[in-house]
Amino acid sequence: MFEPPVQRLVDELARLPGVGRKSAQRLAFHILHIEEADAERLGNAIIDLRKEVRLCSRCFNITADEECSICRDLRRDPTSVCVVERAQDISVLERTQEFRGRYHVLGGAISPIAGVGPDQLRMRELVARLEAESVSEVIVATNPTVEGDTTALYIARLLKPLGVKVSRLASGLPVGGDLDYADEITLGRALSGRKEL
Amino acid sequence: MHLAWLELSQFRSYENLRFEPDPGINVLVGRNGAGKTNILEAVGYLSMLKSFRRTPDAALIRSGEERAIIRGGFGDGDSEVDIAVEIPAAGRRQVMVNGKRPSRLSDVAITAPVVAFLPDDLDLVKRGPALRREYLDDLGAQLVPTVGADQREFEKSLRQRNSLLRQDGRNADPMSLDVWDVRIAESGARVLVNRLRLLGRLCNRLTDAYGTVGGESRDLLRPIYTSSWVTVGEITEGLEPDFEILASALLKALEERRTRDMETRSTSAGPHRDDPGFLLDDRDVRVRASQGEQRSVALSLRIAAYQLLDDRHGRPPILLLDDVFSELDPGRAEGVTGLLPHGQVLVTSARDDEVPEMGRRWRVREGILK
Repeated sequence: MFEPPVQRLVDELARLPGVGRKSAQRLAFHILHIEEADAERLGNAIIDLRKEVRLCSRCFNITADEECSICRDLRRDPTSVCVVERAQDISVLERTQEFRGRYHVLGGAISPIAGVGPDQLRMRELVARLEAESVSEVIVATNPTVEGDTTALYIARLLKPLGVKVSRLASGLPVGGDLDYADEITLGRALSGRKEL
Repeated sequence: MHLAWLELSQFRSYENLRFEPDPGINVLVGRNGAGKTNILEAVGYLSMLKSFRRTPDAALIRSGEERAIIRGGFGDGDSEVDIAVEIPAAGRRQVMVNGKRPSRLSDVAITAPVVAFLPDDLDLVKRGPALRREYLDDLGAQLVPTVGADQREFEKSLRQRNSLLRQDGRNADPMSLDVWDVRIAESGARVLVNRLRLLGRLCNRLTDAYGTVGGESRDLLRPIYTSSWVTVGEITEGLEPDFEILASALLKALEERRTRDMETRSTSAGPHRDDPGFLLDDRDVRVRASQGEQRSVALSLRIAAYQLLDDRHGRPPILLLDDVFSELDPGRAEGVTGLLPHGQVLVTSARDDEVPEMGRRWRVREGILK
């Protein structure tokens, strides 16, 4: 046990993902020894984050405004929507510069074990957007896990009757890699999802 | 591939142990309860990432301690692979291969394949189907890495569907069940394809092995496979099952039994309920064979597994023989050792004179002495 103010910070830091007891102590003592202005900046950054940031009213991406920068961008194609599990997946997809539509953040994937069903995800909001924004294509970019794949299948079943084109990100070989370095499972998936040339 | 060294810390009866077996035959002699089997169990754990005694992880930790650690170096001449497992009393188990977390656990079973002959192997033949499913699935995962991954995917999907049924029962969302049904049908069919393919490769080897250890008997040993949701025909060498047919059969069965599954809150169709079995001529070994015949069939299963792994990887697996010589008459014991040559062997025995004169002897007391 440390002095109460130190212990309080250690306890809070240790609740963060990927931070154990030891790292939390190291961080707390580091903060104790830095310039007061630096510590204040860190504290304010955390407070501001919660005060100023909210979820986009359209796609549930993280934003400082009513709508996120992508939804506000008039050059983006509103008829094409890419569905992701979490907001941080958007930045990865954005870096590819391949997708010019908008996004929709589900907030997770279907997992009865974790108590997450379709009702706990933003499925209804997705369906509502289809008509409001005359969406014609939905690209599902959930993770290639049992839960992510199942969620993709659920979305396909949900939206197909509504006349929307639904596709799933292909999973396959890393570009620029040799075939012999690909693991069997990735290679198997790549085979079953092969494309005609 | 052989075990070059093994280190145990707070595992079972061992506080600390380092053991450097010979690449050939090693006989571990010690009285009952001295800790011979614990060493074999540790080696098996590094390969299969579970106890071959089916002991839950927490019970492997020396009493009063917080964590057990098993480490082993597996070599085949020039390269060495270091596998380490840390089992904490609370929290997640950690597996490290060469100091790094492996990208997939199913790769570990391929790295250091092990075949264990155990005193209760008779249960494999005599008891319910769970042990026989496990025999097939474990062996499959040791042969092909995707087989282990397929099993994990099926088990995960099954747990999810069962969880949905347990929570919501009759009120479960039909469309959610629809999608889990599809996932179970696909991953379950893949599990069955893998099992049937494996049985097809075991066919001739089982017949041959039984021919050697079965004594006077001229009966033909062959596998059968019973499932409540699909009819599996005769299993022949080189069998190539059709994935599409099996997947649609399972999907249909899941749909037909949905109401019942919602009542019972569990999944009644799938490879997790199947029964692989064995016939001697036309007799079901489980119910219509003598104890002696059953013992020979169990031995044949292990021998065939050993040979298949040897063929597949081009080098023999590590062989663990836990107190099996006390159960065998000398003729059969010779048959077994004759069929399993040239790899590394760890044998345990309570009595010095029980095991044929061979290899290096280790006396097991609290630690290990030569």
